[in-house]
Amino acid sequence: MRAVAVASGLRQMGVRPPVGEYVRSVWARRAFIRTLGSAKAYARNQGSYLGQLWSVLNPLLNSIVYVVIFGVIVPTTRGVNNGIAFIVVGVFIYRFFESSVSAGANSLKGNLNLVRSVHFPRASLPVSTTLTELTTLGPALAVMCAIAWLSGLLPEMEEVPITWRLLLLPVAIGLMFVFNMGCAFLVARWVAITPDLNNVIPFVLRFVFYGSGVLFSIEHIVKYPVISHVLAYQPVAVFLNLTRSTVLDEPSIPLDWTMWVAGAVWAVLALGIGFLAFWRGEERYGRE
Amino acid sequence: MSIPEEIDFEVDAEDLSEFKPNGRELGAPSLVVDDLYVTYRIFGGKRVAAGQGRPGVLKRVLNRSTVHMGGLTSVEAVRGISFIARHGESIGIVGVNGSGKSTLLRAIAGLIPPTEGSVYVSGEPSLLGVNAVLMGSLTGERNVMIGGLALGLSPEEVRAKFDDIVEFSGIGDSIYLPMNAYSSGMSARLRFAISAAAVPDVLMIDEALATGDAAFRRKSKDRIDAIRDEAGTVFLVSHSLATVESICARTLWIHQGKLVMDGPSTEVCAAYKAFVKKQDG
Repeated sequence: MRAVAVASGLRQMGVRPPVGEYVRSVWARRAFIRTLGSAKAYARNQGSYLGQLWSVLNPLLNSIVYVVIFGVIVPTTRGVNNGIAFIVVGVFIYRFFESSVSAGANSLKGNLNLVRSVHFPRASLPVSTTLTELTTLGPALAVMCAIAWLSGLLPEMEEVPITWRLLLLPVAIGLMFVFNMGCAFLVARWVAITPDLNNVIPFVLRFVFYGSGVLFSIEHIVKYPVISHVLAYQPVAVFLNLTRSTVLDEPSIPLDWTMWVAGAVWAVLALGIGFLAFWRGEERYGRE
Repeated sequence: MSIPEEIDFEVDAEDLSEFKPNGRELGAPSLVVDDLYVTYRIFGGKRVAAGQGRPGVLKRVLNRSTVHMGGLTSVEAVRGISFIARHGESIGIVGVNGSGKSTLLRAIAGLIPPTEGSVYVSGEPSLLGVNAVLMGSLTGERNVMIGGLALGLSPEEVRAKFDDIVEFSGIGDSIYLPMNAYSSGMSARLRFAISAAAVPDVLMIDEALATGDAAFRRKSKDRIDAIRDEAGTVFLVSHSLATVESICARTLWIHQGKLVMDGPSTEVCAAYKAFVKKQDG
């Protein structure tokens, strides 16, 4: 049988291609990934009267919650000059990470119909879900910067001027996108092989939330210098630091090149490890 | 049921060219399935052996807990199937519900990885199934684009074929509505139109022809013939033996994941009919 197949130049199905070929096949589907990713982000807001307006309203309402709570009810500076801007940036950026991981975990199961009807490199799915989150983040970033600037008008808050550093925000988001994609690959594989892990991920994410200084600055809260150092250089905290250093005007969060290097290293590491891990399971996806 | 003599598929290419239905010239092999096994992992349930009497309380509690926790079952849907298909051939697959027909098609299409054995295909196979909804929340138009791109077409190719696809599916302006709003017949037609647009080397159709009205069925039969004429191979799973006999020259009969019979459609369908009748009576 094998001889017949080889003699007629047939290709074996259901086996994992070599890494190089796999990368090329994912790259060849980039139009598919882009279309799927943006279509999903679009579909998210379609089931309502206001439709796409929600892509702006949603983050706006979200940040109003934080402005009211931390600006009016519990005015707190927490060792920073503008607590509202600090928290709004933290929450929005953290949500990008959190939603990328959750969406990545469900990327195979949630697209089972597509997986069961068309043959394509499955790595396209975690990439496209991360892309969906990036697309959703776009309008949210605009709202985030606007709220940060507006919060400076409040009497207790320091001003948040618009500086050239804002130009670095897309770079920070780009690095974080790569990092999130790597994490999405990793959890996609774990959950596909062991569905139980999908129940554990929210708890891990909650740990990361408190360990990254989303609502407070780590160095002001954590007493032990070793732990404080470790927490400051863990990836999510690094990306929070990078985005805050570009948007805010906090003396305690200056532009720090070691943080940019750390961010780049984390991004490359996550993508490399995540992609390889996902690729190694390629022939096992869809057997449920 | 008695399974006929195991058919030896380890044959030379010359012997296979005996299959020459309707005088159609068959080309080189387009698909080789070699001793294929497919096992599903099913979460959330366990088979409970029947007729063993009522076990003791302790045993029952223990058994329960293995159902509620770690309820994992392996189902062998395809168990050792081998055959060779050639360019220009149309092959019907018949069998009772749950015999493994759809799983076999999915494994051939590369959608389910084989547990054992191997599948060799020329080009990129394409599967048409009535169960395969694309994205319900998106419009038909977006689905045409996503489906076409997933099949490996370029955006320009999909745009060029867009009018053809809509025209063939015959759903008109509804193409701009979300697919959730489609009737099952409409979405089946759109799916057929999308998959048939790519002109694959191997096209597999899973019950898709059962939906749609007479006019659409005639159109899809023409499209299948066209694909076959372009030296493709067509697989058709259907419970309608008349459809299988009218479209396919060769038929595979599958029962409990094994190949029972492989030969000219008239013979296999007659044997299958006799088998079903015997089971009923």
